[in-house]
Amino acid sequence: MNTVDTVSKTVVINRDVLSEKKRRAAELRQQFTERGILVVNLVSSPGSGKTSLLEATAKCWQGQHKMAVLVGDLATERDAERLRPLVPVEQLTTGGACHLELSLVEKGLAKLPLDDVEFLFIENIGNLVCPASHDLAEHLRVSVLSTTEGDDKPGKYPKMYRTSDALVITKTDLLPYVPFSTEDAIADARTIQPELSAFELCSLTGDGVSQWCDFLVQARRRTVCIPAA
Amino acid sequence: MHEKSLVQSLLKQVEAIMREHHAVSVQAVTVEIGPLSGVESLLVEDAFSELLLNSQIGRPSLNIQAVDLTIRCRDCEQASSSPGLTLKCQLCGSNKVQITHGDEFRLMDVSLQIPAESENSVT
Repeated sequence: MNTVDTVSKTVVINRDVLSEKKRRAAELRQQFTERGILVVNLVSSPGSGKTSLLEATAKCWQGQHKMAVLVGDLATERDAERLRPLVPVEQLTTGGACHLELSLVEKGLAKLPLDDVEFLFIENIGNLVCPASHDLAEHLRVSVLSTTEGDDKPGKYPKMYRTSDALVITKTDLLPYVPFSTEDAIADARTIQPELSAFELCSLTGDGVSQWCDFLVQARRRTVCIPAA
Repeated sequence: MHEKSLVQSLLKQVEAIMREHHAVSVQAVTVEIGPLSGVESLLVEDAFSELLLNSQIGRPSLNIQAVDLTIRCRDCEQASSSPGLTLKCQLCGSNKVQITHGDEFRLMDVSLQIPAESENSVT
């Protein structure tokens, strides 16, 4: 049996474990920026109303702005089926994984028509922990929080709120019936991320939806290269 | 449980380092995990043990170094350590702070076993 004389050697690396994925995400984000597409990553716990928010956004913009959606789910195409009559949509089924990764997003993008699209939404898996660690090439990360959840949630999931650019509080029509303070929730989130933009709305009635949509239009003007008309 | 996917990324990097240095095995991998990284050390250890079974890097030990949370205040411009997970300047009380350490999951170093003859050929 051949034996090889070996020696020990320690190689110093000191590098972010996700550095390669972050580099790929930054490249893809730059491509979206140059194409004039604002990418918005919606994150929340399950049932906060992400799909309803996207339906309300599509209805608000009908004929004005073109959007497309990548929908992440563990199983089923139910959310994609809800959105398909309104906007181009591609389902990303993770088969149980608790978050979306860039490779899944890239796979979905290959099938999604993006001609003339101004806004691409990524509806992430309902989970306030794991999606916070993954850059999906978004320009904006938006946390969605419903009034049926605790208004102390931001402080309990600090990384998600710290890495978010905006907070959308949904289901405001239920405020008379639930012990939820929108002021407390926004204040809690801003102790973690002082520059967080905040919106209160009801996707079913449409209350507050136009302010959210205006915010996105302004964010697109500020963030991406708008192609000349 | 996203630690599995993070550890997959970690092992890919270690495999690349192993190839680069023509190593015959990896003896130890050291990572740094901050309290605000969203990464749980115990789950990283579990994922590391599980994923090693399908890896080419042998059976290295995993050393996890904990990192203190430190912040820099945007108002008073001072740096301070933050007890617990509080994101508030310990000197002036402002919450306009930037995290300088504590949200990282970093590969720090890798201990390799390399052929003696190639030690001088790899810089």
